[in-house]
Formats: sequence, C-alpha cells, structure tokens
Amino acid sequence: MIDFIYGLMRAGIPVSVHYILEFYRGLRAGIAPDLDRLFLFARLVFVKKVEHYDAFEQVFRHVFLGDPSVDPEDWEALLTGKPFQEWLRRQVESGRLPLEALREFDNEELLERFWRTVMAQDGEHHGGNTWVGTGGRSPFGHSGRHGGGIRVYGESLHGTAQKVIGARRYIQYSDETPLRSENLRQVLSTLKSLRPVGPENELDVDTTIYRTAKNGGEIELVFQRELRNRVELIVLVDNGGYSMVPYVDLVKTVFNKIRDCFRDVRFYYFHNCIYGTVYADPQRRQPVSWEKLLASGKKTRLIIIGDANMAPAELMASYGSIDPATAIRKPGFVWLRELREAFPVSVWLNPIPRDHWPWNSPTIGRIGDIFHMEDLTLGGIKNATAYLNIQGQGVDQAA
Amino acid sequence: MQNVCESSPMRFEGTDRYYLNSELREIVNIAIAMGKPLLLTGEAGTGKTQLAFEIARALNLRMEEARCKSTFKGEELCYVYDTVLRLNDSRFGSGDTGRDVNNIWDYIRFGPIGRAFTCEDRRVLLLDEIDKTDSDTQDNLLDVLEDGAFIIREINHKIRAKQRPIIIITSNAKRELSDPFLRRCFCHYIPFPGPEEMVKIVRLHYPDIPEAFLHASLETFYRLREEGFEKPPATAELLDWIGAMRAGGVRGPGAGKDVAHIGTLLKRTQDILKFKGIRKALRF
Repeated sequence: MIDFIYGLMRAGIPVSVHYILEFYRGLRAGIAPDLDRLFLFARLVFVKKVEHYDAFEQVFRHVFLGDPSVDPEDWEALLTGKPFQEWLRRQVESGRLPLEALREFDNEELLERFWRTVMAQDGEHHGGNTWVGTGGRSPFGHSGRHGGGIRVYGESLHGTAQKVIGARRYIQYSDETPLRSENLRQVLSTLKSLRPVGPENELDVDTTIYRTAKNGGEIELVFQRELRNRVELIVLVDNGGYSMVPYVDLVKTVFNKIRDCFRDVRFYYFHNCIYGTVYADPQRRQPVSWEKLLASGKKTRLIIIGDANMAPAELMASYGSIDPATAIRKPGFVWLRELREAFPVSVWLNPIPRDHWPWNSPTIGRIGDIFHMEDLTLGGIKNATAYLNIQGQGVDQAA
Repeated sequence: MQNVCESSPMRFEGTDRYYLNSELREIVNIAIAMGKPLLLTGEAGTGKTQLAFEIARALNLRMEEARCKSTFKGEELCYVYDTVLRLNDSRFGSGDTGRDVNNIWDYIRFGPIGRAFTCEDRRVLLLDEIDKTDSDTQDNLLDVLEDGAFIIREINHKIRAKQRPIIIITSNAKRELSDPFLRRCFCHYIPFPGPEEMVKIVRLHYPDIPEAFLHASLETFYRLREEGFEKPPATAELLDWIGAMRAGGVRGPGAGKDVAHIGTLLKRTQDILKFKGIRKALRF
C-alpha cells in the first residue's frame, strides 16, 4: 500500500491524507470486496482528473496486479498492516506518542498520523533510518492467502480492472500527450479558465433605495450590469517550419472555438523568427506594423506558437532573416525582447516535446530565456494558462 | 467484514431504458454507499444527465434537478428570499394570496437543494452542468452539500438535511473545475461507448432493427468519428441518424461519400463540406 501511495505521488497524482482515510473508511465498510471494485474505488478516491487515469492505471497494475501476496479479502491489513504497527510501536517507545493518547485516539486519528509521516517522506528514502520503510519485497507479510491467488478473472466484475488497464483507454488524456483532435476538449476547458466571469445582473441596492425614496415610497428597482473582465488575445503562429505543420490546423481550431470567451482573438503569422513585422494572413502578404502590434501590449495576452528552432544566425546575427532579401539589421533576439517587454503577459508554446529542447536547437534555450516556454501538450498548455493568469493578475492590478 | 454493497437496500442495478455497463454501475453504488457526490464528466451524449434520472427511477426516489447557469451564485439553489414581492405586498397589500407580509417564511422559496434537504424522503439531487457556474459558486455549493446544511441569512436560520440526498453532478468540462471542488467529489469520466456497448444502446431504442443494418450503420458511424471532424458525431446523432434512415425507408447506411441523411450526423457546415471532399479555401 505504501508502494501504491508513493507510486501515485511519483506519477504526479496529488494524494492527500484525507483520501487515504476515506479509502480506509470505504475498505472497512466493505466497499471493495474484490480487485475490480478495489480498482474502481481507488480510482474514485484518488484520481480526480481524466488526465491522471492512465498514470493511475499503470501504478495500480504495477502494485496490485503484479504482486500475488496482495489478498483482496483482507484489504484492511494493507492500511493497518505491519508498517503501521511497527510505526505505532516505535512512536510509543520513543515517547512521541504517550500510551494514554493511544486510548484516546481512535484508529482513524492514528492512521492519519501514520500516513502523514509516510507522505512527508518524499518516497525516495526507502529503507533508510526513517520511521517507515517498505523494507523487503513483501512488507505486509500476511500468510492467510486464500489459495489460488487473487480473483481477477471470471467470478467478479468480468475482470474490469484487468480489461480496463490492459487497454490504456485514457492515454490520450494524459498530461504528457501532445495536442490532438481527441483531446481538444481538455485544452479548451483549460484555456477557458483564462478569463474570470461573473454573474451579469445585480440589484443596485443603493440606487434602488435612493430612487424609491425620491419616488415617495413607490418602489423602483435599479439593476446594474456587473462588469465582465474580458481579455484580448493575440496568437502569433509560426507557419513556416515543417515541425509546425501537424499543429497549425489544430491550433487554429482551438483558438477559434474559444473566440467567444475573449473580447477579441487575433491571429498573426511569422516565419521562424520575428523581425519587426508579423502578418495578418497565412501567406504572409499583409504586414502588420510593429508599432501597432506593440501598442496593444498592456491589455492583451500574447501566445506565441512556434518551434523556436532555427539556425543560430537567424536569431543572433544582423540581417539574420531566412529571407535572403532582408534589409533588417536588428537581429531576431532583439525584436523578440522588445515584444516580450511590450507584452507583459505572454507565453511561448512549442510543439517540440520539452525533453527534446536541449538537443534540438540552441535557439530554443535562447528564446526560452526571453519568453516563458511550455510545450504543446495538455500539461504544457495548462502550465501556460496558469502562467498567463498569474502574470495577468499582476498587470491588471497595477493598471 | 460486512459487505455493504450487497446488503445495502440502496443498490442501483440499471433500468430497462438505459444501458449501463458494470463499471459505471459499481461506481454509482460506491458513491451511494460512501455518501459522496458523484461528479460525471465526459463527452456529450454519454448519458451523464440521464444517469441521474435513471438512478431516481431505479431506486424509486424523487428527483430534484438544478440546471446551472453562469449567473448562479449558489444560494438560489438553496433558497430565494423574494424581497421584491415582499416590498410589493407591503406597499399594495398581499390581497387574497394568503401571504402575510409580517411572516418572512411566506417569502422564502426553496430551491432544489433546499427542497432535497427539507423533504422527508431521500431524493436524488442533480446539479447539471456545474461547470457553467464560477468557481466560488462551486465551492459554496460543496460546503452546503458536505455539511448537509445551509443558513437562511436573513433570519439566521439553519436548515439541516433530514435525509442526505444522493448527489449527482455533471460537467461538460467547459471550464476546469477547481481542485478543492474535485477533492470533495468522486469523479468519474465516462468514456465514449465502444461498438459492443453501442449495439446494446441502439437496441434499447430500436429493438427491432435488423442485425446487418445495425452493424453497417455502426461501422460508418465509428469511421466518421475517427476522421477528426470539428464536432464528431455522438450517441444522440447516431440515434437520430438511424431513426431518420428507418423513417425514410433507406435500406442501408450507404458507403463512402454516399451516406444517407448525413445532415443528422454532422452538424457543422465545415464538417459536411470536409466530408463531401470540398475543402473550403481555409488554409493557414
């Protein structure tokens, strides 16, 4: 069980002691008499987002399906088993927990303390001189296994756990999955949290009282429209490089779908790097002047989508543009820095997976110094949204 | 160890009108047994809302239904104090309506949560499309539901739940729900049904449909879903489509680009054009 909790934590699924106690209560009440129900119950208790389903299934399989010493009939022992008893004994021996306290605390309180201790360790210190260690292979050591191993197949729920886990049905919702048409919904909901919304109508009590008094008691109701904070968004898309090709349509669909959430969404295009001009059309024939773009900076969120992968000269050198006829002396990174300064609320999304950044091109790192960069996965988009919101709060307050 | 699932009188087994897979059935039962709100997410047309109605029907409980709007603050789901009506009555008299201006209770109306709490029997409480409300509202609501009590502020009167309702919450994931909210619910994502399940679902609606026809339709249906349309067809579209084909006396669903009544499956112009192979000049 400790393995299981650590596994979840390592997989990035937030676990709280609260969940563990709830899990314990459920097991005590006999919610999960077999492995399939245990699987469903554990998922209900521990996993709150579909993005984590896949990771959860992998951990569950690893811990419960791989270990024949796990006995579905005796789940309670998992939570109050040997490590817990050991911990309890040591607590009492060391005087951290006086004996009389033992009588006062009920099981749940003790368990809560135990699991807090377990979780305070970050899961890497197995077997050290910590309070709780998983020690050997079989920490729970109960021998009363009902012959024939665990019930997964047949008599229970048609092997739901086994079937479900084998299929990895939720992998396209995992946080590390790149943007695809299947998981558009997740992305959309993340992006929608970019704007705060409030109820639209409110009774203006003060004015109502004032007007009613003026009318000599004749009631007059005055409603006011609550201000809606609707942000503007500019999306700059690199539609040049081939690494962008699979994403261009998706990105456009995503942002078109959330168009009604913003006061305005505008798309501009560039090729590889920005040198003072972006374009209003995908063919890059209608230039938009730099001044005009920068002027809207303070009240507009900026998302740049591009692979940031170019020849170093394109970023660093004067006359660096990929367009050989360029007459622009200022190197790309200066332009980018100007852009960043003009848009205090901005983020860069990169379709190249984060792990590959250091190997792909040195320019990714350089641009990453200028703009906060995330990759174009569900997790990355979430981080980007959170980042924009935090930045936006600061800017809006200052304004 | 006593087995609650088997012995509990509240056990949901599905109904004849609603196809329920074993996984979802267990999840509903676990949530009922643990007394936790069950938050259902998933694509449109996976039967999230319908599930609440079927639970009520199967367990023979009454429903309280709250369809959320973005303007909700949460309190109106518990009660509404009709100030305007009372002001009006105090000014013009309540006439023969039987309301007493001096009695505030005549001006308090309970919302779905209030009704579920004050009634004598256990009810199923559905909070539909919770994601339309803002996150403060969601947190307020969960406070109320977790405590099983709310306060009528105007008279500082606490209403306690006589019976904890069975709470089903649905979300279309229009916006992310807050973490504290998720923490307090059991969350379940209903995946889109696969072909075998879809056969059963269609049969519930069209029991006499010929086998070959059904399979040919499903094949086309899942093929279209794979093609990455902006709004992929879901269960509701499939049922409409089959209904339209049967009403129109079409013998088969057609193949390739020649699908009958395509308009019932694909709703967006863009998608239909894409399907017909006419790509609008909408390039990047």
